[in-house]
Amino acid sequence: MDGTALCEVRDCTFAYSGEGAALRNVTLHVRAGELVMLVGPSGCGKTTVTRLINGLAPGHFTGTLTGHACTGGLEAGRAPLESYARVVGSVFQNPKTQYFHARSTDELAFPCENAGMPAPRIRERVRQVAARFGIDDLLDRAIVDLSGGQQQRLAVASAAVLEPAVMVLDEPTSNLDTASMARLHGMIAALKADGVAIVIAEHRLAWCTDLVDRYCVFGGGELLGTYTAREFEALPAARREAWGLRVLDVSEDRARIAAISHLECPAGGAPVLSTRGLEVGYRKRGMLRRGRGAVFSRRIPDVDVYGGQIVGIMGHNGAGKSTFARTLCGLQAPLAGTIELDGEPAHTSALSHAAALVMQDVHYQLFAESVRAEVMLETVQRGGGEHELAAARAQCDALLAELDLFDVADRHPMSLSGGQKQRLAIAVALMGCKRFVVLDEPTSGLDRAHMMQVGALLRALADRGVAVLVITHDDELAAHWCDRIIALD
Amino acid sequence: MTQTAVRAARAHTGSLRLDPRAKLAMLAVANVLMFLHTGPAAQSLAVVLFSLPLLFGGKAAAGARMLAVYGVLCAVGWASALGVDRLPWLHIAGATAAGVCMMMPCLTAGMAMFATTRPGDMVCAMRRMRAPDALVIPVVVVMRFFPTIRHDYRLIRQSLRLRGFTGGGMALARRPLRSLEYILVPLLMNAANVARDLTVAGLARGLGAPGEPTSMVELRMHAVDWLAVALSLAPLAVAAVTG
Repeated sequence: MDGTALCEVRDCTFAYSGEGAALRNVTLHVRAGELVMLVGPSGCGKTTVTRLINGLAPGHFTGTLTGHACTGGLEAGRAPLESYARVVGSVFQNPKTQYFHARSTDELAFPCENAGMPAPRIRERVRQVAARFGIDDLLDRAIVDLSGGQQQRLAVASAAVLEPAVMVLDEPTSNLDTASMARLHGMIAALKADGVAIVIAEHRLAWCTDLVDRYCVFGGGELLGTYTAREFEALPAARREAWGLRVLDVSEDRARIAAISHLECPAGGAPVLSTRGLEVGYRKRGMLRRGRGAVFSRRIPDVDVYGGQIVGIMGHNGAGKSTFARTLCGLQAPLAGTIELDGEPAHTSALSHAAALVMQDVHYQLFAESVRAEVMLETVQRGGGEHELAAARAQCDALLAELDLFDVADRHPMSLSGGQKQRLAIAVALMGCKRFVVLDEPTSGLDRAHMMQVGALLRALADRGVAVLVITHDDELAAHWCDRIIALD
Repeated sequence: MTQTAVRAARAHTGSLRLDPRAKLAMLAVANVLMFLHTGPAAQSLAVVLFSLPLLFGGKAAAGARMLAVYGVLCAVGWASALGVDRLPWLHIAGATAAGVCMMMPCLTAGMAMFATTRPGDMVCAMRRMRAPDALVIPVVVVMRFFPTIRHDYRLIRQSLRLRGFTGGGMALARRPLRSLEYILVPLLMNAANVARDLTVAGLARGLGAPGEPTSMVELRMHAVDWLAVALSLAPLAVAAVTG
């Protein structure tokens, strides 16, 4: 294999325009056929390193760079950003916002078209890349209909279609389930075997430990150390935890999940929610809005959910987790069976009244002009006397203080960080005295410390007597914090 | 071609697939007709002609709907003309129907353009016509955003429902400004986020690289396309004759 470095970052310090240094004196290199994993807590500078390598900083994200960042002969800050596309393929965190075309085949052809390839060669390339990664089944589809895992595989294929010497992936597995991660692993293995230099910035480590050559540990914008895979694995687990990293091996977590999946309801008292013979799904709508048979349906094993419990809902992408959650919240009617709320069969409107949903994209559910107004929205809407409003305001302030949002109470919800928005959505649920709260993937893209914070928050929520249901792919969250698991595989 | 692509192509055989440029010509003719305030003969001919790509291009339901809407509008116009002596307020209905009728050729041609054209073909056609990137890229982005907006809208309505803001059209009609704010603000916020990420993804895929971009699809104007262009001129001829 080629001994010279394809990517070289030497003594780089970078500050985004108008901000402090995001990166200080970082030096690292990647050779052909090597996989280097950049790890560290959120905001540690690993994403900035990926941007120096693919030219987005300072080409698109402007700032001041000192030192040399050289990728396949292109020097960051000197070479034009457009010239990077042939040398580096880039994959980003969110599969939903990185495809440019509406159809999958067009998306694969897109880099070739920009590079000015003749049409027959583009079609040849698209065919080759589909065969190379085994994604023939994804060709000629509407991308919006693909699952997150499929979209991310398409993103990798599209980044690799020009056969770049370097691939950079920034948290590619944040939104993926176990099976999708395994498929992504296969694609990375193929790239590595072909001698591509690969750089991955990641929180979740377990999915590709066997392919990694070196780990670069970041913290506070500095490179804390570089370790070979063997050295890194030999480090005490507590050390990696202190760096804010997720575990290298999730088999222990999986074993715990398997154990609690078989657990029967331990709590006494009456369940908040019970499902009986439930079948969820949706029907295709005919021209006159008449049902035409189910397009998608899934039987749900009978479950009882108690107040004070955290119940994990797990299963692969497309297993029907979200449909199940929407049905529980009364946002769609079940195909068959009943849902009981406090022992009484409940209609969709009663369920909507009792349910709160914290979506993965929280910004779909924040509407008011300030954090406080957001929490008070329903109260103000209902109206009521001066006295009532004052009492509600006091309750709102207490909630905000408890959820560490009091200092930002007058800010616009959209100006908050992701974690703050999530807590605000939970505050809204608590203010509305909801009986149960469903959270959709609350820990995707979070480092260990933030994941544990979310877990603690779920526990606090449950301790108030609310039933907490959490849809998740995160083995660590499920193993550490869930009391029970409903597996929908 | 790969198997899936072949299968997809086969599914399309037997249905009419016009070159996007032919459909653009129809859209242009439709706009000219609207400016000229043409009579009912040219107008109805145009609506029928421009719904043909929908009817035979795999979007029969959409084509039938357009024709039905046009039929209803014509009936409303006719009925109100009959009864207007007794009920003067029917003028409003008649005038509205006539106004919307005038737009129907444009709406039908536009529907045919967007519903039966794949984005890749559209881009290729525009590039073949030497349209500048400043025009091509917004069209790509709009076509990319259409399905997303419907999806976003659904999510927002769901979360509003859980917050106790129920009722669909009625609530919207009663408090239009507030409903607009609650739906539009998250929609725009999300669109801004998506646009930011898309810019980065586009740059990383070499968008805007120097040199002429190419296209995977190769489009040629076939006889049927030229025929369609010629036919789409017919309403203009009718308009010229009937005045």
